[in-house]
Amino acid sequence: MAVAFKGFQFNLPFASILLILLLCLQSGGGQKKKENMLAEKVEQMMEWSSRRSVIRMNGDKFRRFVKAPPRNYSVIVMFTALQPQRQCSVCRQANEEYQVLANSWRYSSAFSNKLFFTVVDYDEGADVFQQLNMNSAPTFMHFPAKGKPKRADTFDLQRIGFASEQLAKWIADRTDVQIRVFRPPNYSGTIALALLVSLVGGLLYLRRNNLEFIYNKTGWAMAALCVVFAMTSGQMWNHIRGPPYAHKNPQNGQVSYIHGSSQAQFVAESHIILLLNAAITMGMVLLNEAATSKGDVGKRRIICLVGLGLVVFFFSFLLSIFRSKYHGYPYR
Amino acid sequence: MAEHHTASDCKHKTSSNAGGSVSGNGRPNSPAGCGGSGGLSGGLTQPAGWQSLLSFTILFLAWLAGFSSRLFAVIRFESIIHEFDPWFNYRSTHHLTTNGFYEFLNWFDERAWYPLGRIVGGTVYPGLMVTAGLIHYILNLLHVTVHIRDVCVFLAPVFSGLTAISTFLLTRELWNQGAGLLAACFIAIVPGYISRSVAGSFDNEGIAIFALQFTYYLWVKSVKTGSVFWAIGCCLSYFYMVSAWGGYVFIINLIPLHVFALLLMQRFSRRLYIAYSTFYIVGLVLSMQIPFVGFQPIRTSEHMAAAGVFALLQAYAFLQYLKDRLTRQEFQTLFFLGVSLAAGVVFLTVIYLTYTGESHLPVMLRYAKIHIPIIASVSEHQPTTWVSFFFDLHILVCTFPAGLWFCIKNINDERVFVALYAISAVYFAGVMVRLMLTLTPVVCMLSAIAFSSVFEHYLGDDMKRENPPAEDSKQDRPEEGLGPNIKSIVTMLMLMLLMMFAVHCTWVTSNAYSSPSVVLASYNHDGSRNILDDFREAYYWLRQNTDEHARVMSWWDYGYQIAGMANRTTLVDNNTWNNSHIALVGKAMSSNESAAYEIMKSLDVDYVLIIFGGVIGYSGDDINKFLWMVRIAEGEHPKDIRESDYFTPQGEFRVDKAGSPTLLNCLMYKMSYYRFGPYTRLDFRTPPGFDRTRNAEIGNKDIRLKHLEEAFTSEHWLVRIYRVKKQENRQALDHKLRNIAAKQKYTSKKVLPSLFH
Repeated sequence: MAVAFKGFQFNLPFASILLILLLCLQSGGGQKKKENMLAEKVEQMMEWSSRRSVIRMNGDKFRRFVKAPPRNYSVIVMFTALQPQRQCSVCRQANEEYQVLANSWRYSSAFSNKLFFTVVDYDEGADVFQQLNMNSAPTFMHFPAKGKPKRADTFDLQRIGFASEQLAKWIADRTDVQIRVFRPPNYSGTIALALLVSLVGGLLYLRRNNLEFIYNKTGWAMAALCVVFAMTSGQMWNHIRGPPYAHKNPQNGQVSYIHGSSQAQFVAESHIILLLNAAITMGMVLLNEAATSKGDVGKRRIICLVGLGLVVFFFSFLLSIFRSKYHGYPYR
Repeated sequence: MAEHHTASDCKHKTSSNAGGSVSGNGRPNSPAGCGGSGGLSGGLTQPAGWQSLLSFTILFLAWLAGFSSRLFAVIRFESIIHEFDPWFNYRSTHHLTTNGFYEFLNWFDERAWYPLGRIVGGTVYPGLMVTAGLIHYILNLLHVTVHIRDVCVFLAPVFSGLTAISTFLLTRELWNQGAGLLAACFIAIVPGYISRSVAGSFDNEGIAIFALQFTYYLWVKSVKTGSVFWAIGCCLSYFYMVSAWGGYVFIINLIPLHVFALLLMQRFSRRLYIAYSTFYIVGLVLSMQIPFVGFQPIRTSEHMAAAGVFALLQAYAFLQYLKDRLTRQEFQTLFFLGVSLAAGVVFLTVIYLTYTGESHLPVMLRYAKIHIPIIASVSEHQPTTWVSFFFDLHILVCTFPAGLWFCIKNINDERVFVALYAISAVYFAGVMVRLMLTLTPVVCMLSAIAFSSVFEHYLGDDMKRENPPAEDSKQDRPEEGLGPNIKSIVTMLMLMLLMMFAVHCTWVTSNAYSSPSVVLASYNHDGSRNILDDFREAYYWLRQNTDEHARVMSWWDYGYQIAGMANRTTLVDNNTWNNSHIALVGKAMSSNESAAYEIMKSLDVDYVLIIFGGVIGYSGDDINKFLWMVRIAEGEHPKDIRESDYFTPQGEFRVDKAGSPTLLNCLMYKMSYYRFGPYTRLDFRTPPGFDRTRNAEIGNKDIRLKHLEEAFTSEHWLVRIYRVKKQENRQALDHKLRNIAAKQKYTSKKVLPSLFH
């Protein structure tokens, strides 16, 4: 039923094109040839896009279907480098967003032959990149049905990002085609949660005769401290901002783990801080252990000194890192 | 924002805070003393009088230290309200004291959000204003005539002392008296709390932290005793908290969480039942009395956890009751099944609620960051780096996990509470810098527990040796003592750490958190200070020289200050409840002059006020905020304003010749740099028209204004005010006069008879 409906939808524009073609037949031979070519091209594009929502192109195809003049359709082209040896992780993320958008268009009720999504990979069409004077990937470009692409037809990736909603907004702006982005729901989180719950439940069931470990305070205390350390070392900031793990200086290849400014941090840096905080806490706990436990005095003295050493040494280390980040801090 | 000040002010620290460092050094000694008193309490040999005298003295000193370390801004500048929001609070408190309480509740402020206005009584948490008004009233009743402004300025420091006392009480309930005193000393000086409660920052948080701690203390007390008296006290304190700050949601979720955790741990008791049932019902009814909260407690999802736990507690208690009555084995198993089922259902709903409500917060923030520029433009809504944690809490951030460890290892009903408090607060503080405030009290308490247990062991034994009567009870443990050397080394080093903490706190308070931001200070090379009082100069000019009902357009940051200091009508202010109105102002600022004039005409604008820092190098001016105006305007008017138009083709934001022509001709640029280009030469090293903030020679020096004229520019050009010209008379059309002689006869025929009738 749905297929039939869609088929009808497909055919309507075709019929109108044919009608126009018929009407135009009188105007002249050259015109007729052009119209034939156009119909052929549209048909070809429709066939490809019915097979895959994003059409892969090489140099020849690109020149024939996107650049060559007789066109009545807009084309969105993603120039990218998806081959693994190119090591472009941004391209892969952008590609996923692009696929989401193209699928939303492909399976939407408004689908027509006015807009096509295509992709040109650097390894398949390096000549296209040279021709368009393009030296970065991914780049999104819109080739309008009439005329040459203007400045605004290149998507401003740096500023807006490549979320498919933003892309859809840009396309709506350029072509007047509204695409409602439909993301396939992400079940991985739910599945992971269900797995975890079933795992825990299973463990509990297996050890139902001996549930002592639930009452184990050390375990709970450990879990609580883990949460605290993760938060106080700024893991949430990492999660939201997504900084690099560490910075490598391109000139001399030195790797710096500590960000120079107090407004930002690297992932590695937050891990170091996490360890420092944990060490200081452990020192405090050891100090307390040494005083309260019942055991050999010599052993307890060693524990006490180790604890004290941990606290003092790692705290001064932490303070020196803080000083290096927070310029103008007067104390040591 | 605070860190900007630090970077600029840090060089001048040594000269200016001599008074502060004295009190800073005085403090670590008092923690040491109270650690000793904690140890003493084990001995039971001292009369209780000494202990309480020592406690009172330490609490008093903590209050004094907390109060005086918050006075940097008053001493350096004057008794003045700070920043932005406090100006609104001050203005409404002023309204309250002059017009009375009921007039305040019904106050419709026609001076804000012109032409919409704002219903103030129904959109504020009135606790702060009522507190300040009440203190003012009482003082005047006693013929202590102080101005309401001074009450407002000193309210937060005074309440910090009350916070210290309630923290002491809470920690005493959780651990012991020594830890309580340490906690009181910590919270009195910790920067994370000082940041919101220096003298002059007259804001909700200043009193809310006291209410928060006091509510928690009463809650722990009522769980411990199970008496309705304490539970009602807890409700009243909760009511005060609801009236003071939106952060009361934290309480109404944490207390049910505590009850739920206790149920899971099979720590249900009658005391818990009485405490929570009383708290929930009375607290709910009381919280709905605040007009701004209204029916939210029974409608919105963040209050649902409390209701769910209430139902669960009732069901649990009912089943307990039945279990006492019924003896048959089958019934018991059946009920046990029912209990576990109900518990499972409620657990899942709570998990769901917390999942949707809390752990989606970062997602929500990310969403908001992309879609609502106005949220992204506020620096308080950012996640927290470790540097901010360390900056605000110093040693406490590394030692409080130890306190948490001790609490969980020696768990009881109320320590469950503090553990939950710590974990939830640390999560929220990680998500948003602003919520560091809720984390600070629990960090102080847990660190105090950690330090106090160390001091107890390393100071206490020495005391025992000095006091022979103490030996008889515990002499059967032969392995006492690590030796006095190690003990004194540990004590010394711990005291040094605490001293570093005190010094750090004083430094941070002095340098980062004691700037009024209404009055700026700059320092010369020789350390002498210049006061830049441009803001007040300009606002005073507005107050004196403009019509009483003049409407001033400015960016929303300055709305409260214009209303508070200049007493003029504003279009948008820091309340930011109407995004489209703000976007309209942003659009006017970022359009060219004639398009902006149309908008200003439609909004009846008489004056435009902008902040310009190019002369003195002030970085927080309107050109630096300008991209946010463009973004917010673009969000509402995407056809007219495009952010990319304001960048160079290379994607840079530049004000010099290479800048985009749209930027160089927009209203904000023109107003900022009007008369700046050709006439100003700041020094001989730079060309004329050199902007010190952006270190660039401006690109458009020949600026002519058509619809605006300069009305006022302050001494350092920081504030510039423009008058919007009224529309000119229509130009005479150059056409010939019509010859209407031919038609005159006809009209006279028609009209004249009617005249004569």
